[in-house]
Amino acid sequence: MLPSGSISAVHIWKRFHADRGRRLLRDQVHHLAARLRGGGGRGWRWALRDVELVAAPGESVGLIGSNGSGKSTLLKILTRVMYPYTGSVQVAGRVGALIEVRAGVHPDLTGRENIHLYGTLLGLDRRRIRERFDEIVAFSELEDAIDRQLKFYSSGMQMRLGFAVAAFLEPDVLLVDEVLAVGDANFQQRCLERMRAVLNQGTTLVFVSHDLAAVEAACTRGVWLHQGVREAEGPVREVVNAYRQSIEAAAESAITVSGELRLVKVEVSGPDGGTARTQAPLDIQLVVDSPAARAARLYLGVSEGPATPIFVLRRDLSLAAGETKASCAIRSLPLPRGRYYLWVGVFEGGKRDPLPWHPATHFDVAGPNLDVAPRGIVRLAPIHVDTAWELER
Amino acid sequence: MTLLRSPQPPAGRKPPVGLTTDVPTAPPPEWRFRRRLHPGALFHELWGARTLVRTLAEREIRIRYKQAVLGFAWAVVTPLVLMVAFTLFFRKAAKIDTWPVPYPLFAYVGLIPWTFFSTGVAQGGLSLVNNVPLLNKVYCPREVFPTASVVVAGIDSIISTGVLLLLFLRYGFMPKPTTIWVPALLPIQVMFTLGVTLVVSAVIVYLRDLRHALPLLLQMGLFVTPVAFPLDVVPQQFRKVYVALDPLAAVIDGYRRAVLYGRPPSLPLLAIAAVSSFVVLAGGYAVFKRLETGIADVA
Repeated sequence: MLPSGSISAVHIWKRFHADRGRRLLRDQVHHLAARLRGGGGRGWRWALRDVELVAAPGESVGLIGSNGSGKSTLLKILTRVMYPYTGSVQVAGRVGALIEVRAGVHPDLTGRENIHLYGTLLGLDRRRIRERFDEIVAFSELEDAIDRQLKFYSSGMQMRLGFAVAAFLEPDVLLVDEVLAVGDANFQQRCLERMRAVLNQGTTLVFVSHDLAAVEAACTRGVWLHQGVREAEGPVREVVNAYRQSIEAAAESAITVSGELRLVKVEVSGPDGGTARTQAPLDIQLVVDSPAARAARLYLGVSEGPATPIFVLRRDLSLAAGETKASCAIRSLPLPRGRYYLWVGVFEGGKRDPLPWHPATHFDVAGPNLDVAPRGIVRLAPIHVDTAWELER
Repeated sequence: MTLLRSPQPPAGRKPPVGLTTDVPTAPPPEWRFRRRLHPGALFHELWGARTLVRTLAEREIRIRYKQAVLGFAWAVVTPLVLMVAFTLFFRKAAKIDTWPVPYPLFAYVGLIPWTFFSTGVAQGGLSLVNNVPLLNKVYCPREVFPTASVVVAGIDSIISTGVLLLLFLRYGFMPKPTTIWVPALLPIQVMFTLGVTLVVSAVIVYLRDLRHALPLLLQMGLFVTPVAFPLDVVPQQFRKVYVALDPLAAVIDGYRRAVLYGRPPSLPLLAIAAVSSFVVLAGGYAVFKRLETGIADVA
């Protein structure tokens, strides 16, 4: 028997019907007939292939991956809502799950009744739920609405209630699936704080989110799923960075740059043409090919991978027919060590963008590492700030 | 960090994302997940979920009557209306002789267990489908949902039994001392209802059109079961087979004999019904547990 709060899921395979059609009697009869005739039945689609997730009590694991990579399916298997096709799953202790925003809530019941219902579903007795009741209501800020039927709640209110119930009813394992997106900024921060408090109590956390900054803030270990297969696993920062870079790679191969303008050459170089360094000059050289002379507005952006840049540079240019060379010198690069991507776009007021926003190249920066934020604090983008500390006693 | 797949291509374009060779396309068959079910563990889990059954039953009652004007009166309306209908039409047309018992009482005593069965199956049968949002998110032993519906049907039965007492007063008729047999009949009725409810609730998730067939099937059941007519209508030589297929027939006949006619129930028929009900419950539970694993996949 595993100690309470540990998760051990190994060799998990899960498949679904390839055709998720209607479930009517005549379809079943049809399938049965096809099978009897030796048609081999219907096709299957593997949602998870040989996935493993092991966590010790008190550990926090972030699950990342693009849509359809099997994150939610894995979470459902951990909650025992779904059963895997192969493998073994052991989750010791009480599991609090927040899946698809409104875990365990029923629209026809009031908020109060829902808290009791979900508490009983978690396996708590009524006395324990009553003890926790006021805290849950206070955290979700639903004092005025607690006796209203849930179907009259806004989606944010339902999510707040769901999170508060799942997080306050003392689960040994807390599974959270992409819920913070619904809450406002203030509530998101309090959720992260609550998660940190829960972790300090020794609860094991599995956190699924597309908000990579939040994953980095809440988790110590990361697992990256790609099309149902584990792509990478390790310290959360490294895994998240690897995932960010793959997003960029996917964007690079997916975007067919279709504008009038063509980017002929992009070059990023550090001091003396070498590697880029923190707080050193950085030189960016572009060659743009234009069919006709025109005015244009050029944007450069530097990001960690996704299309959201850390900073953006803008310049209005007048392009000649043919190739125009533009160079931009950053006097002091404010980025810590890491790999970064240069995004380029040319825009004007018209219907079609002359050159759409796309990653053009990447470059590595040598220099000091960024200080790590405390758990539960979301850092948005890496910026190197020159500091001098002094202590007086 | 450990990269778990083949190293990324060095620079430039990534190959189109597809199946990788590192992971086989299908798992070895000996890894197949098998859920082990021990009766002891199952019972332990169910016992642990008793608060949940209670909460769900309370919830079902609340939801059912939250927007209903007549409230709990609905529990009584169904058997009463059917009783009146039977009295007006059935007795006249079929010339059923229930002497010395007034026909309305005769019908009502049959209608209480029948209503228990039919509301249990009708509500419980849909309990999983109706709770799909919950089933997709939270784990609990799934049988608590149909069980809670049967509990609610039982509460309805208690209310309509209260009305039976009023009917006794109205017709100046007293229940016979053999009424003490009732506790022996009750478990058969509950076992059979629960067994059927479990099967229906699980199967309906996979075959959604059963939902439309269910009311029709229940209506036919009402006429196949001796609710409006006595069991004597069935020829003696078929009666045992009949009761084995429809244990409710023996239960209803038993209630009437014990409560209204002052005779003990027919023990051979009762034994057959008890065995049959137990088989239905055990088999139904096994089917339920078998189908349960796939509910979240298709729901």
